[in-house]
Amino acid sequence: MQDKKILEVNHLSKKFGNNEILKDINGTVKSGEVICVIGPSGAGKSTFLRCLNLLEKPTAGEVKFEGTDLTNVDEKQLINLRERMGMVFQSFNLFPNMTVIENLKLAPIRVKHMKDDEAQKVAMHLLDRVGLAEKANAYPSSLSGGQQQRVAIARALAMNPEVMLFDEPTSALDPEMVGEVLEVMNELAKEGMTMVVVTHEMGFAKEVADEVWFMADGYILERNKPVELFDNPQNERAKDFIGKIIQNV
Amino acid sequence: MKKNFKAIIQIILMAAAMFALTVVSTNHVSAADTSLQRVKQRGELIMVTSPDYPPYEFQVNKHGKDQIVGMDIDVAKKVAKDLHVKLVIKSMNFDSLLVAIQTGKADMAIGGINPTAARRQSVDFSKIYYTGGQSFLINSSDVNKYKSVKNLKGAKIGAQTGTLQYGLAKKRIPNASVKGMDKSTDLVLALKTHKIDALGIEKPSAEAYVKNDPSLKMIPSGYSLNKNETGAAIAFKKGSTSLVNAVNKSIDQIKAKDLTSQYLADAGKYMKVNTVNTSMFHYWKYFAKGVEYTILISIVSTFFGVLIGVVLALMRFSKQKWLRGLAISYTEFIRGTPLMVQVLFVYFGIGVVVNIPALISGMIAVSLNSGAYVAEIIRGGINSVAKGQTEAAESLGLSKGDLMRFVILPQAFKNIWPALGNEFISLIKESSIVSIIGVTDLIYQLNIVRADTYRGVMPIFVAMLLYFIMTFALTRVLNHFEGKMKHAG
Repeated sequence: MQDKKILEVNHLSKKFGNNEILKDINGTVKSGEVICVIGPSGAGKSTFLRCLNLLEKPTAGEVKFEGTDLTNVDEKQLINLRERMGMVFQSFNLFPNMTVIENLKLAPIRVKHMKDDEAQKVAMHLLDRVGLAEKANAYPSSLSGGQQQRVAIARALAMNPEVMLFDEPTSALDPEMVGEVLEVMNELAKEGMTMVVVTHEMGFAKEVADEVWFMADGYILERNKPVELFDNPQNERAKDFIGKIIQNV
Repeated sequence: MKKNFKAIIQIILMAAAMFALTVVSTNHVSAADTSLQRVKQRGELIMVTSPDYPPYEFQVNKHGKDQIVGMDIDVAKKVAKDLHVKLVIKSMNFDSLLVAIQTGKADMAIGGINPTAARRQSVDFSKIYYTGGQSFLINSSDVNKYKSVKNLKGAKIGAQTGTLQYGLAKKRIPNASVKGMDKSTDLVLALKTHKIDALGIEKPSAEAYVKNDPSLKMIPSGYSLNKNETGAAIAFKKGSTSLVNAVNKSIDQIKAKDLTSQYLADAGKYMKVNTVNTSMFHYWKYFAKGVEYTILISIVSTFFGVLIGVVLALMRFSKQKWLRGLAISYTEFIRGTPLMVQVLFVYFGIGVVVNIPALISGMIAVSLNSGAYVAEIIRGGINSVAKGQTEAAESLGLSKGDLMRFVILPQAFKNIWPALGNEFISLIKESSIVSIIGVTDLIYQLNIVRADTYRGVMPIFVAMLLYFIMTFALTRVLNHFEGKMKHAG
């Protein structure tokens, strides 16, 4: 079970016009693994993550989700596969026209055809888990950034996904709110959720990740256990990047 | 941009082709004269008139019922009776009368129409049934200044647009500046407020005004005119010889027995009844009917306008190039042409192919027009929703339809609510243009009341107030919903 491949990327490349953002990316994410993707800005980290559920369409290469190549399915199948991959965005992207609980219930009811009372139960359970049960009927605009991001995580979990993709989930937060979001993610990892996290939080990566991938200039230049990569980077670019980050801490 | 341009050209060409076809088919119909046969088969003689021209034709309230009466109406009744058919009266602007018979909206047009040579080129005329003559109305205070038509040299003269009086004043009064307006009621008001010095008008009409308003006086025109410029005749579509001949028999009788004198006397009686009570309250039923139609047109057109707008806006986001092109061309074309022209085109243009009643034509034109504007507003609203919303919904596995329905459109509508409200308010006001094809909306009714009461300003003021009440009420309703949406920031 531990070896089951959830995601497999082969020779992935992405161009925007003549600008090649991703160049021949390969990698595998196994069930229960937590992968942290780090690297300087402009490295292509976010584009890579968005290629994993095809929010960006790759220019070439394969993205396999549980053995199915997402680049090779029709729109309907893609929608079916996407619901099993949760995604959390830097800017939360909660639906402002709905209350917190409605945000959580929308996809289970519309996509999974869950009954309203069942969806309600699932949603309340998840809100309790992220510590926001009392905000169920509030609108997103009345919540703090940290609270909104916890709701966004709960919304993605409501679809009971097999993998969670995090696109810099704490970058838009005030420093005092970063902790509460990382705590939720930490617990999620402990429960065995498969996760791919693009982050600048080195502490989190060190503590939670099974593997850290260092990206620069559209390549994955180094991948290793966090302790190895942070304490003894092999690649020159990685050395430089990690050196700068440690200086700043 | 070039592509759009091409598409627009195509649409224009299509419209031109349709028009050409229309002309061809019109000529084809007139080739075989079945005009009389058709009227007899139908059992109805359909007549158009512009009932704002007492004593020829005007609207009165008789025993609580709106009725169009006057000398012309009596002539038409006599004609229908002689043909053993029922008379059906349709009313519209004087300008539109000849168009209405050319496009088959009616069998004949009546309304003190002078059978001039120019008009004879586009329609057929019956024999002349009445010869009135031309005259001028002036203010009583100017009696000494304008003793005869010679004194009008260089004066400001008003006349109804599209009438003989207008052309005569231009040609025959030296150095006169001639001002044209649509309604004789507007012209009388212009005269009384000294915006014009004299008003060229048919003698019977002038006499009616002078009888009802002591501040007006009449002077003879002194024009030497041929019969075609003083007489009134009935107009028919070109080629209706059989119908014209049948009608001429009735006219011969009318002239032999001098029936028009009797008709005029009867019309005069109505006018006396009519002018007893000119308070606006006395006419509340007229205004109520106008408000009713204006609201009806506005509600129906708003509904279909939004429907068309949503469809067009979604077409703009379609993956199909031709759907996008169609939506763009439609929007550009509708926005680039006046609503008035669109109303006329739906009623008269499309009316040649399918006969659509005036009210429905008006609603169709206003809906089609509003749809183009609503589409642009909605498109802007959809674009205003952050891209992250689409991505979040897609990552949850929502279908395109659910994405639009639950996420994008609710937010878009909230953003565009003020702009949409603005569009609804202008729709109420702009719907007034349908009065030109005889829909009895508030503007149309307002003109009826003005013709009826010989009061120029007061009905305008009442209509203004009524429009304001309608738009203000709508604003309150819209604000209420805007407030409801506000909390979901």
